[in-house]
Amino acid sequence: MTRTHVTKSRCAAVSVQIAVPTQVPAPSGLWPRKEEEDEEETEVEEDSHQVNSLQRRARCWGIFQRRYVSWSETFSPGIHPSSRQEQDGDVAMRDAHVGPGVRYTPYAIPTYWRRDSFHRGDQTHGNPERERKPPEEGLEGNRQDGTSRSWFKVIFPFGIKYDEKWLLNLIQSQCSVPFNPIEFHYEKMQVQFFGENASIAFALKKVSGKIWDEENERISIFVSPSAIPHSEQKKLKSTKVKLIKVMQTQDTCTHTHSFFSHQFPPTPPRCQSHFRPSLSLQKTNIKGHEVPQRALDLQRLHSDPDPMTLDIEKGPNLRNCMAASLHIHEENMRKVNSEGELDKVKGLEPEERCSDRNPLCTTFPDKSTNISSILELFSKLLHLDDHKIPPPIIFGNEAYKKLPVCKGNVFGSETLKNLILQFLQQYYWIYDSGDRQGLLDAYHDEACFSLTILLNPDDLVPSCLHKYSMGSRNIRKLKDPVLRVQLLKHTKRDIVDFLSVLPKTQHDLSSFVVDMCVQTEKMLCFSVNGVFKEVEEVCQARVRAFTRIFIATPASNFSLCIVNDQLFVSDAGPIETQGAFSTPVPTLSSSSVPTISQEQQEVAQVFSTQSGMNH
Amino acid sequence: MTMSMALTRLYLDKATLIWNGNVVTGLDALANFFEMLPSSEFQVNMLDCQPVHGKIRVFQEQATPSQTTVLVVTSGIVKFDGNKQHYFNQNFLLSAHSTLNNTVWKIASDCFRFQDWASS
Repeated sequence: MTRTHVTKSRCAAVSVQIAVPTQVPAPSGLWPRKEEEDEEETEVEEDSHQVNSLQRRARCWGIFQRRYVSWSETFSPGIHPSSRQEQDGDVAMRDAHVGPGVRYTPYAIPTYWRRDSFHRGDQTHGNPERERKPPEEGLEGNRQDGTSRSWFKVIFPFGIKYDEKWLLNLIQSQCSVPFNPIEFHYEKMQVQFFGENASIAFALKKVSGKIWDEENERISIFVSPSAIPHSEQKKLKSTKVKLIKVMQTQDTCTHTHSFFSHQFPPTPPRCQSHFRPSLSLQKTNIKGHEVPQRALDLQRLHSDPDPMTLDIEKGPNLRNCMAASLHIHEENMRKVNSEGELDKVKGLEPEERCSDRNPLCTTFPDKSTNISSILELFSKLLHLDDHKIPPPIIFGNEAYKKLPVCKGNVFGSETLKNLILQFLQQYYWIYDSGDRQGLLDAYHDEACFSLTILLNPDDLVPSCLHKYSMGSRNIRKLKDPVLRVQLLKHTKRDIVDFLSVLPKTQHDLSSFVVDMCVQTEKMLCFSVNGVFKEVEEVCQARVRAFTRIFIATPASNFSLCIVNDQLFVSDAGPIETQGAFSTPVPTLSSSSVPTISQEQQEVAQVFSTQSGMNH
Repeated sequence: MTMSMALTRLYLDKATLIWNGNVVTGLDALANFFEMLPSSEFQVNMLDCQPVHGKIRVFQEQATPSQTTVLVVTSGIVKFDGNKQHYFNQNFLLSAHSTLNNTVWKIASDCFRFQDWASS
């Protein structure tokens, strides 16, 4: 579940992370239609509540959905199930899974408030690794007028098909907010460009999936936070150089108002006898390597409603200076080589610096308040006027929560473990044997089965894909209620006939991991995760990942009798593919269909006894 | 109400969650568990459901009328704060409890696993 939380510093920015929860539309095809309901009724329901209760329940299902937000769709609507199929098979792209979430921080200087992320100064873009980082590490640039930008990247997965002008016109016509695409370019199959500020990102996100191209295909738009684009970064640098030069030639202190003037009237721009911490002004080393930068948008601070704000009222020159990047280098105060020859700044020196070029003064009467006020703006400071700043006070909830360790099988008991493993061995022995008719004995007369797949179509030979996709019932995508009902296989005959059509397989039992979800007197529900190989020649020995849920009751001849069976097939990841079939698994004897052994009978007996039920 | 409290209310009293092989039973344990999880973003790519066969009465106590059960299966991508993203598979058994006035659906069981749990 996502969380919406707001952190507000005393002095400055508001960081807002926005999740947009929406509800999954109620699956309308869940219950059989009316003419079938009557038939179903007598079989399904022993108590004759008749049609009304089914209708009530269907309505209540809707109520349940409305009352609870079940899944949050913070992703672009364009990232729908077919996104997995839309990708061009490039592994890096697949793993990146563009835009796992969009969180916007329209006002933030988010990185200032996190000590640990301070020194990530890499501003390169176009690096998928970079884009996968949490949005809190997104960087912002400053305009000269001081308004902030949150950069994001927009990707059209198959944008290569589209002409630039046509595409931009189309989007702009649908998009409620005017936008200016930065660095529009084609990359492999995609169109990419950058945009600024959150409202545009939201607007573009909304457009995704709602526009069509000339072949009537839906156009998806992926939006994700991004580092500052290269071209913008260059602009920023050259602006900074100019501004710093300007500052050096000015006696800026004489034009400065108090940094924190809220309680004190603007004082004459003279260095006073108050404590006056000064801050170093660093310039980027443009000739050499990148220097970690964090731009402080003083203009934004100025607009913050919190009383501890700057009050900067000056002419355009100083305003520009203030809005320009103020680079603070804590641990690495270093000599800067530049045209302007700013000399080495180490720590800070009061008074004499102020009279030269220090634009920032505070006028609080006491030292600790001064330090606090500066720290609220510049929380990363380690030294102030050659004094070491005490480390910040951190409360426990700021530490990263850790995920629990992942564990293997959950069986509940040794008996059940044996029961389930034997069942699975038998089941897949027949399933892989080439003739699945033998599975008839495994299913209840009225059993239900459905199949869903998420496979990359580029990866599949058409005849192979066809076998799956004809029967795939992903109701996330499939809206047709008739089809939804049809694809839910009912009765053992229908189920086994359908299973017989799927590609021939070989399952890797050593890859199986079982979670036994429910064990009651009358029923067992467990899931199996694992991999299998498609062994038909046309399928080219592809390895697939599967998850299968079985709901079963105890049986005498097959140990378990399946009443519900749900199979999900997807692409196996590289690790799973490599590891598949590496462990030799002892196979059952192939002389005959395995008969129930003495042990198995005992196991079934135990289950029956435990459940107190005669099947 | 915190999010984890809201989540816990979706579960039956004796519901069980199996989260990557970790078994969590009962509302208190569930509440603690959700509280402890980092914040997350889910993307659901697959959804399927089946009515659990009507003759199987699950979670039924003596005095209550029949309870309908639905199996819900889902899959997609999840990103927990501070962790890389994972493909996940999750299945629920939802149980409807009907009284005279209304029917309430709750989670009776929840089973969640990363597809790459073994290398996590």
